[in-house]
Amino acid sequence: MRTFAHFNARTVDEVVSILRRYGERAHVIAGGTDLLGKMKDELLPKYPEALVNIKSIPGLEYIREDHGTLQIGALTRLEDIAADPLVRGKYNALAEATRRAASPHLREMGTLGGNICQDIRCWYYRHPDNRFPCLRKGGGRCYAMNGENRYHSIFGANVEQGCYAVHPSDTAPALIALNAKVKTSRRTLAVEDLFEVRVGKTTVLDSDEIVTAFEVPTPAKATKSSFVKFALRKTIDFPIVNCAAMIASEGGRVTAARVCLNAVYVKPYRATKAEEFMAGQPINEANAEAAGDAVVSDAKPLQHNGYMVQIAKVMVKRAILACRSEAPPAQT
Amino acid sequence: MTAKKLGPYQTLKAEGTYKIGADKPTIAFNRIGKRGVRRYDGYAKASGKALYTRDVLLPGMLYSKVLASPFAHAKILRLDTRQAEAYPGVRTVLRFDDPAIHGRELTGSIAGPTRMAPQSAGWAMLPVKTILGDEAIFEGQMVGVAVCADSEQIAAEALKRVKIEWEQRPILLDQEEALQPEAPILIPGADSNQIIDERELTTKGDVEQGFQEAEQIVEFTARRHAHLWAGAELPCVIANWSGDKLEMWVHEQQPYLSKLILSEQLNIPMNKIQTHSLYQGCSFGERCNPSNWHQNGINVLAVLLARKAGRPVKLVLNRAETFYGESGDVMASHFKVGAKQDGTITAVQMKSVFANYMCTTGVEHLIDNTRISHLRCEGITAHVNKPPAWWCRCEQLPNVFCQTLIFDHVADALGLDPTQVALRNDGCEGHDPSYLSEFKRRHGFPDRDSLRECIEAGRKAIGWEEKWHAPGTRRLPNGRMHGMAFTWSHDWDDTRGTGSAAVMIQNDGSVSIIAQHSDVGVNPWTAYMQIVADELGVPYEDIEINPFDLNVGFALMSPDGSCNLGSNGFVVKKAAQKAKQMLLDLASEKFDRPADALDVKESVVFEKARPENRMPLKEVVKMATPMLNAVGIWTEPPVLAWAWHTHGLWGQALETGRPRMCRQANFIEIEVDTETGEVFVTKVVNVNDVGQAISPETVEGQMYGGTYMGLGRALTEEMVWDPSTGVLLNRNLLDYKYATLLDYPEAECIYLETGLGHGPYGSTGIGENTATMIPGLLGPAVYNAIGQRVDDFPITPHKVLKALGKIKE
Repeated sequence: MRTFAHFNARTVDEVVSILRRYGERAHVIAGGTDLLGKMKDELLPKYPEALVNIKSIPGLEYIREDHGTLQIGALTRLEDIAADPLVRGKYNALAEATRRAASPHLREMGTLGGNICQDIRCWYYRHPDNRFPCLRKGGGRCYAMNGENRYHSIFGANVEQGCYAVHPSDTAPALIALNAKVKTSRRTLAVEDLFEVRVGKTTVLDSDEIVTAFEVPTPAKATKSSFVKFALRKTIDFPIVNCAAMIASEGGRVTAARVCLNAVYVKPYRATKAEEFMAGQPINEANAEAAGDAVVSDAKPLQHNGYMVQIAKVMVKRAILACRSEAPPAQT
Repeated sequence: MTAKKLGPYQTLKAEGTYKIGADKPTIAFNRIGKRGVRRYDGYAKASGKALYTRDVLLPGMLYSKVLASPFAHAKILRLDTRQAEAYPGVRTVLRFDDPAIHGRELTGSIAGPTRMAPQSAGWAMLPVKTILGDEAIFEGQMVGVAVCADSEQIAAEALKRVKIEWEQRPILLDQEEALQPEAPILIPGADSNQIIDERELTTKGDVEQGFQEAEQIVEFTARRHAHLWAGAELPCVIANWSGDKLEMWVHEQQPYLSKLILSEQLNIPMNKIQTHSLYQGCSFGERCNPSNWHQNGINVLAVLLARKAGRPVKLVLNRAETFYGESGDVMASHFKVGAKQDGTITAVQMKSVFANYMCTTGVEHLIDNTRISHLRCEGITAHVNKPPAWWCRCEQLPNVFCQTLIFDHVADALGLDPTQVALRNDGCEGHDPSYLSEFKRRHGFPDRDSLRECIEAGRKAIGWEEKWHAPGTRRLPNGRMHGMAFTWSHDWDDTRGTGSAAVMIQNDGSVSIIAQHSDVGVNPWTAYMQIVADELGVPYEDIEINPFDLNVGFALMSPDGSCNLGSNGFVVKKAAQKAKQMLLDLASEKFDRPADALDVKESVVFEKARPENRMPLKEVVKMATPMLNAVGIWTEPPVLAWAWHTHGLWGQALETGRPRMCRQANFIEIEVDTETGEVFVTKVVNVNDVGQAISPETVEGQMYGGTYMGLGRALTEEMVWDPSTGVLLNRNLLDYKYATLLDYPEAECIYLETGLGHGPYGSTGIGENTATMIPGLLGPAVYNAIGQRVDDFPITPHKVLKALGKIKE
C-alpha cells in the first residue's frame, strides 16, 4: 500500500467537508473490506490521496423499529443484522441476505452501508495494477465481452458504457424487495434508485455524499420475504446469482410482489416480469416457475454464462416459493 | 565361496538398503499405534509460536521483488532501469544482462541416477529456462530485473518505474490446438510444439487381441482442467553472506538438494552454506521444491542480490505470484476399453494430450494393481503459454483419474456393481491375486486380501448394499437426485527415498534425534519419536528432535517423495536399535553382565533374568558424553548411533522395488440439484489399508485433509485464463476456489492394519492418497445421480446443466 492521508471523522458534516476538499481524490472507509483490497491491488488508475474513516462517527450503528419502519444505521455490521431477532422476525430477506454475505470475519467488519456501496465484481476490472484498463476505469473497452465471462451480466451491458460487470451485493436485492429507502447526508431515496453505472461509480451519490441510514417499511401482515443465493462455495463467495422477494397475499392470492435479482446485471435487477406474473395468482410451483421463465425471457447471455440464465430462473422461482405462508426454508 | 568381510561403509550400506520382506516388530508397542500421543508441533503451531521462514528478521535486512511479465509471450527489446535505481530506498538492481545472472538457467542438479534428473523437474519442460532472462513464455514469469530495497513496498514501487519496450508474440493456451499444423511455434527453431517425452508410449500385451477377447467395448472421453495448490505460507528465502560463508533460511522440502543445486549453480562450496529450514506453511511438492522454477529462481536471485548489496536479502513471493504453476494432469483423454460380461477387463487403450507436463501417463496404476493383460497408453505433451506444470501433492493424479473412470464406465456398461468389477480385476502386473498371495507368503507377509477387506468396510460404512442404485434412478424427497460412487487403488507406494539420522542419549538420560527434516505439516516427527521411544525403551516425553537445522549433518528423506515414514521410519528405528545396543554395551560394564542379558524399559536398565537388578538409564550414561574439564573423573564416549536407509526405487516392479499389497477404497454419496446443477456431497468414506498405523491421528488427519482437497479439485478449483491475452484471471483465494470446511460434510475415515505394508512394522504411506483419489470419483458419482456423464473436471454447475439438457452451451 502507498501512503495516504487519513481522517477520523467525528460527524457527518465533517465527512462532507473533507470530501468537498478532496473531491474524487478521497474515499470513504467504514469496514474497509472492499476498499483496502482495492488499494492493495492498485486496481484503479488513481490511488486515493485520502481516506475518511466514518467508523469514528458515533450513532450510526443501530437497529430499531420506529413508526412502522425498521431503521438501520449505515455502520451497522452485517453480522449484527443477521443475528438481530427483530430483523429475523419480520424482515427475513434482509436477515438471510446478511447471513449469507461474505464470510464470518468479513461480516464482523463489513457494514450495511458498505455492502450497498461496494464496487463491481469483474476479474478484468479487479485484476491488480490496472492490468486491464477497461471501460469502468475510463479505458477503451470491455475485456469480458469476448473474454472469460462466466460470471458476467446476462441482461446486457450498460447502454452507454458497454460494461458487463455485475453488481455483487447480497443485501441490495433484499433491501429493494423490502422496498427500503436509503438516507444519505443530503437526501432520502429508494434503494432501487441508488444504483448507477458510471466510470468509477456504482451509485448516484455525489463525491461529497455518504449513506447514513436505511429505512425499511414494516411488512404488512400476510406478507413474507425471502432471499436465496447461488454460489459455488458456502463461505465467502460472492453470488453467481441471488434473488430476494417480498410477497403479500390475501385469500391465497398474491396482492403485491417485489422481486429483485443481483449479480446478473450491472446493477440490481428488479424482476418486474415475475412481479407482474404473480399478481393475482396463488403461489405454487407452476406459477413460480412461470414467473422465473418470464424474467429470463429477455436474457441475453454471453458466450460462457448461459447457465446463469437457468440459475436466475430457478432463484426467482425459489425466492417466490419461499414466500408461501407455510414455506419451508429455501434450500439454496 | 567364503563371505567377504564388509568394511564399515559397506556394512552401513548393506544394513540400510531396503530388502523386500515383512518388517516384523521385535519390541512390544507402547506408544506406536496408540492414540493420545502429544503431537510434537501441536503447541507451537496452535499457539502461534512456531517460527516460519517469513517470520525471520535480520539486522539490516533488505527486501527484494522480481518483475513479472505482464504478457504471456513476449521479449524485452529495451530495458531502462535508471528511474528504479534512483528511487529512494533502492539498494541494488539486478538486471537480466548483469554478468552475475546473465545466461544462468534453472539447472545445476545434474542428470544421473542418484540426483534429480533434469527431466524430473518442473522447469524442465520450459523451453526457456533462464532464471532471469529477457523472454517470457507465460504471463507472470520472472523476467528482466530484480530490485532490492529497504522495504517490500519500495521494491514494488521501484519495479513500477522500470521502463520496458516489449515485443509481444502470438500465444497458445490449449494443448490440443498447440498440436494443430497451423499453430504458431512456441519455441523458435522447433518444428512442432510437442514436448519430447520418453514415456510417450507404454504398452503391455496386445490390445487388439484384448479387444477380440472382449464381449463389450466401451469408449469415452474425459478432460481435466488446470488446478494447483497455493500454500498457506508464501514461497520465500533469506540469504546472508559473511565473507565466503552463506547463511540461508529456506522454505523448502529439500534443503540438502537446495544446497547442492546452489553449490553447482553459483560455485559455492557446500560446506560454506549454512541452511535453516524452519516450520513451513505448506509444501505439496510443487512450488517449494528447490529444483522448480519458482523456488530455484528466488534462491539464486536472493543469493546474488545479497552478495551485491552486502546485506541480508529476503525474497517473498506475493499471493498472486504463488499461482504461477499448474498441476501436471491438465489432460484431454480418449479411452477404449474391452471387457467380458463377468467384469474382466481384457484391454485398455488410452490416448491423452497433456499441457506442459505429463505427471504420469495414466496407465501405471493399471499395471501396478490389476490383472489386465493388454494395455496401450499414449501420452503426448504440448507446450502452451501457461506456467510450468508439476506434481501437485501427488504425481499419481492422471493414473487414478484414468483408473477411476475406466472402472466406472466398464461396470456401468456391463450393468455390474463396481465393487465387484474391482475385485474381478484386482491383481498385479497382469497377474491375478494368486500371484500376490504367493509373493506375500514368500516374503513373510500375511496372506490377506486387502482390497476385499477395504471394500467390505467401505460398503458397510456408506450403506452401499441398501443405497447403491442404477444411474439416474433415485430422486430424493428434497427433489435432488441421489448418486453414489466407488473407486479403489493400491496403497501409496512411492517408496523411494534416502535418509540418515542419529540418536543420541544425553548425559541426563534424555534422548535426541539428530537430523534435519522439512516440515510439511504431516506430523512425521511425532511418529519418529514414537518409534525411538519404543525401540529404546524410553518414555515418549523424553525424546526430542530439532528438525530445523541442516547443519547437524544428518538429513531425513525430504517429504516430497511421498515417503516420510517408509524411509525415515526405518532410519530412526535402526538408529534407535544401534543406540540401544551401545547403551547395553555400556551398561554391561556397570552391571557386570553380558549386554544381551540386559534390557531397557521406561528408561530403566535391568537384568532380564533378575529385573530387581536395575539402574536408571541416566545413571548408566552419567559419564557417557563429551565433558570439558574432566579433571579427576573419567568420562566415557557418548551413546550416539546413526543409521541410513534407502527405500527402493520409484517406478520399479513388484519384485524389484515396491511391493504394493495394501489397497484402498473410497466411497462417496452426493445429491445433485437438477435445476441449478449444483452438486452436494453428503458423505465420504475413505478406507485405507495402512498396514500398521504408527500415529492413528496422523493417519486420519491425512485422510480428512485429503478429502477436502480432493473435493475442491473435483468441483470448484480451476485456473482461468483470459483467452486473448493469456493472463491468469483468478490468481487469488477468492476467485480460485479451494474447498472450505463448510462446503463438505465430515468424512468417515477408516484405516485397516493388515501388516502388508513395505514400511517399518508393515506400515505404508497415507500422505497423498485421499486428495488424489477423490477428484475422479465425482465423475462416476454425478453420473450415478443424473444418468448423464460429465467427465470434464472440475464438474461445475454449468457442465451439469448442459449434461441434463437444461442449457444449450
